[in-house]
Amino acid sequence: MQHILRLFILLVGLFAGAGSYAADAAPKLTTPDDLGPQIEQPIEFPHFRHAGDAKDGGMQINCMYCHTYARRSMVAGIPPVQKCIGCHQSIESVRDKPRIQKLFEYWDAKKPIPWKKVHDLPDFVRFNHERHIQRFYFQQDRPYQEVCGYCHGNVKAMTVAQRQKPLTMGWCASCHQKDHPVSANSTETGHGPNDCFTCHK
Amino acid sequence: MSVSNLLENWSKFRHTHPVDDKGHPDWEAYPSDIKWAMSIDLDACTGCNACSVACYAENNLPVVGKEKYSHGQAMHWMRIERYWDESAGVGEFDADKGARFLPMMCQQCEAAPCETVCPVGATNHTEDGLNSQIYNRCIGSRYCSANCPYKVRYFNWYNYPEQEKVWPEPLNQQLNPDLTVRTKGVMEKCTFCKQRTYTARNNAKTEGRPVQDSDVQTACQEACPVGAITFGNLFNPESQVAKQWKSQQVELTKEVQDKDEKEGNRLRGYRILEELRPYPSVMYLERVRESAV
Repeated sequence: MQHILRLFILLVGLFAGAGSYAADAAPKLTTPDDLGPQIEQPIEFPHFRHAGDAKDGGMQINCMYCHTYARRSMVAGIPPVQKCIGCHQSIESVRDKPRIQKLFEYWDAKKPIPWKKVHDLPDFVRFNHERHIQRFYFQQDRPYQEVCGYCHGNVKAMTVAQRQKPLTMGWCASCHQKDHPVSANSTETGHGPNDCFTCHK
Repeated sequence: MSVSNLLENWSKFRHTHPVDDKGHPDWEAYPSDIKWAMSIDLDACTGCNACSVACYAENNLPVVGKEKYSHGQAMHWMRIERYWDESAGVGEFDADKGARFLPMMCQQCEAAPCETVCPVGATNHTEDGLNSQIYNRCIGSRYCSANCPYKVRYFNWYNYPEQEKVWPEPLNQQLNPDLTVRTKGVMEKCTFCKQRTYTARNNAKTEGRPVQDSDVQTACQEACPVGAITFGNLFNPESQVAKQWKSQQVELTKEVQDKDEKEGNRLRGYRILEELRPYPSVMYLERVRESAV
């Protein structure tokens, strides 16, 4: 049973991976470990409902509406409960759904939601969200789903976010070695830093 | 990047050695417009050790204790060296005259002796002119420390965070998250507060401007009560450190400084062990006053 479950997870991951924009940059996912730990979150946050395409019943909210710090800080940030409530206090239609009730329980108790980290890098690695967002979203004007998807996979189709990319050094370098155009309308190209000291702290 | 890539492009990862055919590193081909450098005014320095303490706090340095210190296992990236006036004879000094102080940290040599001897390429030159030390890559051979003329590389002889418990609860809360907490068996050294220079470069890049003096201070510079330490980008002629180097006629690219000294205008700038040709990035300003007190 365990094996079948693993195989199923692997297959789902493979199809989702193939659908993501940066699929060609990533090596094939070969082991179940590459999918990351199957993390159980305190609330099963439906990413597809919030960030998904309208045709799939999603709200098409920009990732950076909630993960505010991605464009101006090293870390993307997890939104405070306040942010969830900011919208949900005026969305009466889903108020009695179990997830939303749970959300309001945290809000009434004045407690933060103990989200667990899915994309966890080792402590000796420095990944800077700001640099990547600035480069690909603001300078090159690519769609945010694509830019975030380079590392996070197709989150807009997920419920609880799960790791789709290996996030290993070789995988980072496979993209850093490629030549990318420096801006949307430029033929000039450049590649990411190749200095050990830039990412290793 | 793979090991094969590292081997193929070995010359890119290794800086030119001073005894190379060229005689000096290839300065024209410098890969970036940033070269971090420092200058330290020994006349201002009172030997108060504030810089050293600030460095301990900023860079997650373990306090090893008296016994390990006496074994030469202290981890002070920034240390104050004392030199006594022995004019009365060797071994005899006038304690009343006090010591001469010399803050000593990694000199971030442009042709660093440590870089050429690392068997695994764990220490190499960065674009902004630092000698990097990659802790995960380090295997602890300690060749770099043996080859360092300044003796500013420090080896982790113990597992300080876990076994030695140098940061018991709640002291671990003050560890700097921008840096690795090093473990047993790796070499470490001053990085010119890389986490700070990195942030400064990052912010400047987002704002689309070059790095300025006001963007970054090292921890030792920030703590120095007399402002003896100046730090900045040597390639920016407007920076304080570049102005000081220029006024003292110390050039990064020369191992023998030809100084044009006018009468009554003695220049004080020098770099330590320049004659070994490591091209260090720290300029010291000679002390002129007679005694420390």
